[in-house]
Amino acid sequence: MTENPYLPVEAKIEKIIDETSNIKTFVLKPSRKIKFETGQFVQLTIPGIGEAPFTPSSSPYQTEKIEITIMKVGLLTGKLHEMREGEIVGIRGPYGRGYPFDDFYNKEVLVLGGGVGMAPLRSLLLTLLKNVDKFRRIVLCYGAKTPEDIVYKDAFPEWKKKKKLEILRSVDKAAPGWEETEGLVTVLLDKVKMDLKNSVAVVCGPPIMMKFGTFKLIDLGYKPESIYLSMEKNMSCGLGKCGHCALGKYYVCKDGPVFKYDLIKDIPDIWL
Amino acid sequence: MKFYINKVDWEKFLEQISKTYRIYAPQEVYDELSYQLLSPENVNNTTYGTYRAVQPLKIFFSLPQEKVTAVTSQPEKTIVLGVKNCDLKALQVLDKIFLEGDFVDPFYRERRENTLIISSDCYQPKDTCFCTLLDNNPFPEEGFDLNVSPIDNGFLLEVGSPKGESFIASIREDLKEATSDLMEKRERKRKEAKKRVVEVNREFKTKRPFSVIVKDEYASPVWEEVTKTCVECGACTNICPSCYCFLLVDTKDEGKFPKVKFWDSCQHTGFARVAADVNPRAKLYERLRNRYLCKYEYRPENFGIVACTGCGRCVEACQGKIDKREVIKKLSEKEEK
Repeated sequence: MTENPYLPVEAKIEKIIDETSNIKTFVLKPSRKIKFETGQFVQLTIPGIGEAPFTPSSSPYQTEKIEITIMKVGLLTGKLHEMREGEIVGIRGPYGRGYPFDDFYNKEVLVLGGGVGMAPLRSLLLTLLKNVDKFRRIVLCYGAKTPEDIVYKDAFPEWKKKKKLEILRSVDKAAPGWEETEGLVTVLLDKVKMDLKNSVAVVCGPPIMMKFGTFKLIDLGYKPESIYLSMEKNMSCGLGKCGHCALGKYYVCKDGPVFKYDLIKDIPDIWL
Repeated sequence: MKFYINKVDWEKFLEQISKTYRIYAPQEVYDELSYQLLSPENVNNTTYGTYRAVQPLKIFFSLPQEKVTAVTSQPEKTIVLGVKNCDLKALQVLDKIFLEGDFVDPFYRERRENTLIISSDCYQPKDTCFCTLLDNNPFPEEGFDLNVSPIDNGFLLEVGSPKGESFIASIREDLKEATSDLMEKRERKRKEAKKRVVEVNREFKTKRPFSVIVKDEYASPVWEEVTKTCVECGACTNICPSCYCFLLVDTKDEGKFPKVKFWDSCQHTGFARVAADVNPRAKLYERLRNRYLCKYEYRPENFGIVACTGCGRCVEACQGKIDKREVIKKLSEKEEK
């Protein structure tokens, strides 16, 4: 029999990092190297419990370990949050099409993220920074509910030192000590001046933020074909077969999860 | 290559090969045609020339429930006999899904490779058959290994693949080539059968093709109206020969990451649900509409194949008496009145 695509490889949880009160980053060491492209996703199995899709938040250049940032929202993620360092999970993948970052060469890249949607964007950001000479400018606009809900808190001070990278952050509700923007993440878009003719935008976050973020980008003058969206669906097989992640005629697991907005903008109800 | 074989010789041949193959053939059970395992005792109970069996052909290739992380034994050599064109066409969709793309389903492939398909013409369609509305014919033209057309107390045997050709090698010398007279007879029978299906569906004929209607009438109130009797049982998807959706489930069985693949139904509430309980198709009519779009618009766009072949099984299986043909007709009426 040819290779069985349903069978995960073992991965050991090497480290668990608390990002916020309900978000953790799991550092996994798979028994076999898993090479992925930034934006592709993997299927994570808890033996005997279940499986769900996640996009790695680590750099694709780091191949020994893979980091996955997970918010506790349901049964499986709840169980994951109870797991300890040293325990074993399963990984299948990578699957799908990631960020076509060659398309971003010589352009200004606007990265718009919300909440735990920063996970795939962190992987993208690390990829962009590794190849920073190939891009004109990188602008990250990131929003969270409160300062406490910001993920990768330790990484931001380092990122702020990087040349060509500008970072703007907002929180829906500020707290004492917060000196950056207060408001929805879309207000940050009014503060940045992008060279629209020569810019692409990448959006990842909760559905409502993706929707209004995209509309705002269109208002600002971005063309639908210059906007890249991470469409998260509930992939079951990840192989383009089971039908669970259907988005119009597409299967998000194989045609996405990253889509150019112009490909999907006419499909009804894409923001749910 | 086309031959003639009389019924006695054909059944003798089947008896002989039933020693090496498991043969499933449509036979009458409680007023329905059902695939039965062939044995010397029941070989002559097989019904060839009428409508499709109650089970869709997919049950031989994509099992309702199957362990996919354990290595299974080599599937047994199997023959499915008396397959109708509606099922052959539907199998093309499953082949596209399970055999093509970035990943091949190894379980499906093994079964497909170890199974020989012997189709046959459909001369007596049911009232629920509507293949002609989708430009299909009630007789196979491709996709079979062998096709048998009942004729003159025997069969016109048509070879459709190298697999089919080597299959009949042992009796090849005894076979007479089909005469042009016999061919004409088959042609006439086929034409009559087609006329019958067209006749049955006269009232359901629409001016616009189904693919255009489901797209144009996306916002029609008819979707909600026709869904009123749906009880979300999933019979339509289970019995559909071209529905292939499934769910992978982790189990507590032995082994490292035991997973079972189950047929799933897009009509069930949680089918498309994502994290934090967000459901893009929370309403039943949205799910029903999406199924029609899948069949008549999306899969044709992906594969150039309409994923409904008019077999009519969903019409019979529906507890809410939802008839696809009526749904489409209702949707289309606004403009065509």
